[in-house]
Amino acid sequence: MTLTVTPLGGLPIGWQAAPEANSPERVLVALSGGVDSSVAAALLVEAGHEVVGVWMRLHSAADQRDGHRKSCCTLDAADDARRVADHLGIPFHIQNLEQEFADAVLEPFLAAYQSGETPSPCVGCNTAVKFGALVGKGSALFGCDAVATGHYARRAISDDGRSWRLRAAVDTEKDQTYFLHGLDSAAIARARFPLGGLTKPEVREIARTRGLVTAEKPESQEICFVPDGDYRSLLRERGAVRGEGEVVDESGAVVGTHTGSEGFTVGQRRGLPGSGVSARYVSSVDPVTNRITIAPRSALDVRNIALVDAATPEGPIASGRQVQGLARIRHRGALAQGTVTGIGDGAATLALNDPLWAPSPGQTVVLYDGETLVAGARIARPQLARPQQSA
Amino acid sequence: MTPPRIFLDHAAGSPTPPEIVELMSDLQRAGIGNPNGGHTEARRARAILDDARASLAEDFGVEPRQITFTATASEALALGLNSAVSPNGSLVTTAGEHRGSRALAARHASSGGSVELLDLDRLGVMQVASLRADLSGAVGLFALASGEVGTIQPWTTFATAWRSSGGGALVVDAVQAAYHRPLDVRTIGASHLAVGSAKIGGPFGIAALISAPETKVRPLVVGGGQERGRRGGTEAVVLAAGFAAAYRAHRLRAEQTRQHLVALTNVFDDALGSLTSLGLVPTGAPFTSETRLAGHRSYAVDWALGDDLVAALDHAGIAVSTGSACISGSREPSEALRAMGHTAGESRGGLRLTFGRTSTIEEARHAASIMRVVLERVRTAVPA
Repeated sequence: MTLTVTPLGGLPIGWQAAPEANSPERVLVALSGGVDSSVAAALLVEAGHEVVGVWMRLHSAADQRDGHRKSCCTLDAADDARRVADHLGIPFHIQNLEQEFADAVLEPFLAAYQSGETPSPCVGCNTAVKFGALVGKGSALFGCDAVATGHYARRAISDDGRSWRLRAAVDTEKDQTYFLHGLDSAAIARARFPLGGLTKPEVREIARTRGLVTAEKPESQEICFVPDGDYRSLLRERGAVRGEGEVVDESGAVVGTHTGSEGFTVGQRRGLPGSGVSARYVSSVDPVTNRITIAPRSALDVRNIALVDAATPEGPIASGRQVQGLARIRHRGALAQGTVTGIGDGAATLALNDPLWAPSPGQTVVLYDGETLVAGARIARPQLARPQQSA
Repeated sequence: MTPPRIFLDHAAGSPTPPEIVELMSDLQRAGIGNPNGGHTEARRARAILDDARASLAEDFGVEPRQITFTATASEALALGLNSAVSPNGSLVTTAGEHRGSRALAARHASSGGSVELLDLDRLGVMQVASLRADLSGAVGLFALASGEVGTIQPWTTFATAWRSSGGGALVVDAVQAAYHRPLDVRTIGASHLAVGSAKIGGPFGIAALISAPETKVRPLVVGGGQERGRRGGTEAVVLAAGFAAAYRAHRLRAEQTRQHLVALTNVFDDALGSLTSLGLVPTGAPFTSETRLAGHRSYAVDWALGDDLVAALDHAGIAVSTGSACISGSREPSEALRAMGHTAGESRGGLRLTFGRTSTIEEARHAASIMRVVLERVRTAVPA
């Protein structure tokens, strides 16, 4: 499948491109053992910065060796990260952030599935772990002013120099600002994204020319703490699976059974009856009744989406405040002009000019003004999505 | 500009003196190789190996045939334990042993044997009173001194109580104790005793199991019958020569070294100042007592992970350790500190500094001032 990504506009008025760094500084680089963070570190070293390499131990899956070399979180990945650091001549430390990861990522991940949501764990990891706890540790332990990663993103700074925003990467296919939306202005100020101006092929080429051992490593696509992609086995370990339940259509009629509603997400077709014009998609997941509702594709086009944890880089979106921009409800997904309106306590509504397809509770919504990310939020849980409760 | 490094992890391996390095490289250059063969070259290698064994035997007060060379002290302990305990036998040890010994005990338990942990007190001292009245048939696996918290065990008292309760073979880890004072193996009463080379300034990759006379050693590796059939595989002749020479050199200046280590830690303690104000809790035997390894300082904090402090101090130019070798970055608390009654937080926050013969007074003073700065920075920055 070829993904067509609509190009975002340029920098909005009042904003300018932020240079990665003006003068040499002490930067902590989060080395995952993959090619992107390796190159990020190499570029920082070449730019004359004092670089400290850190591999984060985030969970006990780290104790496993991975034969297939895909995850960023195994001992093999740590070995690769160490070899890259040695090659670049920078110090290397393993930092234990298991507790922070469990609190900010793993537990919310499990809780989300239990409440019928489809979690976006990378967002929490970026916000609370990489650009949260790790920044604190980097400063406390090594006196680092900034934390760099191998994310594809750039930064923008306001003309008055006081505010920061994320700015989409040059490589629109790789742009990861969607997963970074939880970074506030202060966090963006301390973040460094050396790859933001490069394409993936360019990054691979840099890795090859520098002789980095990670140059040909495959992309890691899986959720790092679910090495085999089987998050349901993780839920099963926690006794959080719901077992067999009913599949109903829009009229409420039972049309079949499923093997556990935690295995379904809004917009999913796999495991459901029908094909072609008669294809049906999950339109909602109810964790209480363990029932999933299916509907034809067109029924999943949505113009209004209820949001929680809605924030701009400056903080939560207050009641009555409006933010306009191009909205995106999945990584590299379609864009539609819309307005986010705060309704208090971080809750908000997103009104779209054109519909977007199958917003899935728990997933991330971001809003762009030109290339800059101006707001982010989580799609509200099903019960909150009912209109009568948003008053 | 990179600041000069200060190495304070001698308990993990002390730098090899230049004359020992010279000796080994001379032997290597001279083509010393396999000592097992019928030709002149093999006999030449065999003679060097024999000399090394004889030298160590003399230094430890044993006969050469009591010494089996191994690659590491962990291997020596495994070999000793394998020789002493039957698969379903009873093993007594403590939570304060080196990780290698703890792993041996865990494997013994998982393969059907019984394992009892002897109590430790707050200072890390084995509690003789907690010995069972009847230990007949039990095998003991104990260290003479703790590498983690520096406590020297009251061995004579303990061994007497062990024997009077009918305790059987004692497999003894003497790795850390061997650096502290010359060992007279005969008085220790061990069936098998392990010593390493690197900790006393010899090369890495060689260690020895010293077994009591007439005690059978049951090999873990059969190989070609080397080491009297106790450990198969071609002997590391050059490393053995380096080990023997390093131990001899160490023994000859042991008292002088010990006094130097005491002086270093005195300067360090003074320069570091109040532990309480730095948020440090001392662990193990009192710092200035005779029951602490010379040159050894150990602490715990409950406001940071030990690994984090090691990383921060490393970045500031000082090589130190948590004292408990762990899986990289693991958050598992130190079993020894837990057993000694430290809190879970403190047990994750172990910090160990070990000075060595080559450490200088200036380094001790400088390390203390760096440590003050780093600890204060980390403590104020990291929320508890």
